[in-house]
Amino acid sequence: MSNILKTEVTVTESGFLFDHSTGLTYSLNPTGHFIFQQLQEGKTVGDILGQITEEFTVNEDTARKDLEDYFRQLREMGLIE
Amino acid sequence: MMSINVAVTGLNATDNPAPGLGVIRSLHHPNKWEGTIIGLAYDVYDTGVYDAGLLDDTFMIPYPNQGAEQILERLLYINSQVHIDVIIPTLDSELLLYQKLQPRLKEAGISMYLPTEEVVKRRAKSKLVEFCKEHNIPTPKTIIVNDPANLTRAIEEVGYPLYVKGIFYEAFKCQTSDEVLSMFEKLRNKWGLPILLQESLNGEEFDVCTVGDHQGELLGAVPIRKLRLTDKGKAWVAVTIKNQQLYDLSCHILKALKWSGPCELEIVQDFNTKEFLLLEINPRFPSWIYLSTGANQNLPKLVVDLALGKKVKPLPQAKSGVTFVRHATDLVCPMEYIEKLTVHGELHYQHLNSNQG
Repeated sequence: MSNILKTEVTVTESGFLFDHSTGLTYSLNPTGHFIFQQLQEGKTVGDILGQITEEFTVNEDTARKDLEDYFRQLREMGLIE
Repeated sequence: MMSINVAVTGLNATDNPAPGLGVIRSLHHPNKWEGTIIGLAYDVYDTGVYDAGLLDDTFMIPYPNQGAEQILERLLYINSQVHIDVIIPTLDSELLLYQKLQPRLKEAGISMYLPTEEVVKRRAKSKLVEFCKEHNIPTPKTIIVNDPANLTRAIEEVGYPLYVKGIFYEAFKCQTSDEVLSMFEKLRNKWGLPILLQESLNGEEFDVCTVGDHQGELLGAVPIRKLRLTDKGKAWVAVTIKNQQLYDLSCHILKALKWSGPCELEIVQDFNTKEFLLLEINPRFPSWIYLSTGANQNLPKLVVDLALGKKVKPLPQAKSGVTFVRHATDLVCPMEYIEKLTVHGELHYQHLNSNQG
């Protein structure tokens, strides 16, 4: 799971993301921001799932589905492999 | 450091701003330029003339269509009054003229850093498709129409939507044959033949401002993504980016052309294929050149050094994420400014200020 981030990005404390290769910006919500930070730290899907279920009130199946959906969006935006 | 006097053209910044003011602001960055900055104005109301503090002197010069001799005579007069070390022409329409004048200006001690005439002609709109094909550079499908009788076939080949482009300036997006015919006539009357029909890609627009040396080696490059466009298609918000594909493409283009001096590469990224395609090469700084300075690549200062024959190294990579927002404002000025330029064709700001003070 490490190094799946495709491009150089800057994410501010408020979750404002700048993609240096395209010039596009995004606003991440707190959950999205949390997951993105985990990705930047090179965490695995398993690690991130574990963190989500620990930090938020959500069961593992729902968390996995939401995580897959989020990764699909990040892929479409060209931010991850 | 010896103080250098630099003369700059392209001082009119209205809805289609000329690059001269961005060039001058870059020369003043981060501290006021040590030498004299001389504005070369075509019109008394070229707006930059009234931007207090940018210029030390302004002189009116004849339009390029008045011919090389008239302009040379005027530049030599200006040189006798304030001494010019370097001229940075910033308008497309001036380039061939300054290339012709280059040896004679050099004799008078005035330097420039320009591409050769042959190189400039190779990137002309009518030659660009050929150049791209020869050097394997992606470009949108483009048909050059020299005869209106071939228009229908060209439309079929390109397909809708398409751009009808004048040989020098202007482009109109068209969806129907009536629109194409109307714009074709409009552009033919204004700029003459040929007219270009170019496929309209669904994509995002990027620009790269570059400076090459005499071998076409890239000495500086600032790529930007245009975030907002005016109704004339000019960027009024853009951000610098860091993109290896764009950088490699820019290197390849400059090297293939052996481009020396500044130029602006207009590039579109196809939304579907993600491929970068070259739209145009403008043989000058872009109007947003001050953004390059904000991103730590002062390309106008680099060009002054090149013009003076200094040895320069390629600049470190520009900083990404720096944004410009174009902002229109009103400048007010005393009547003496208008009077001096109208009656005498020259304006010396320090004299005026000290007389008023």
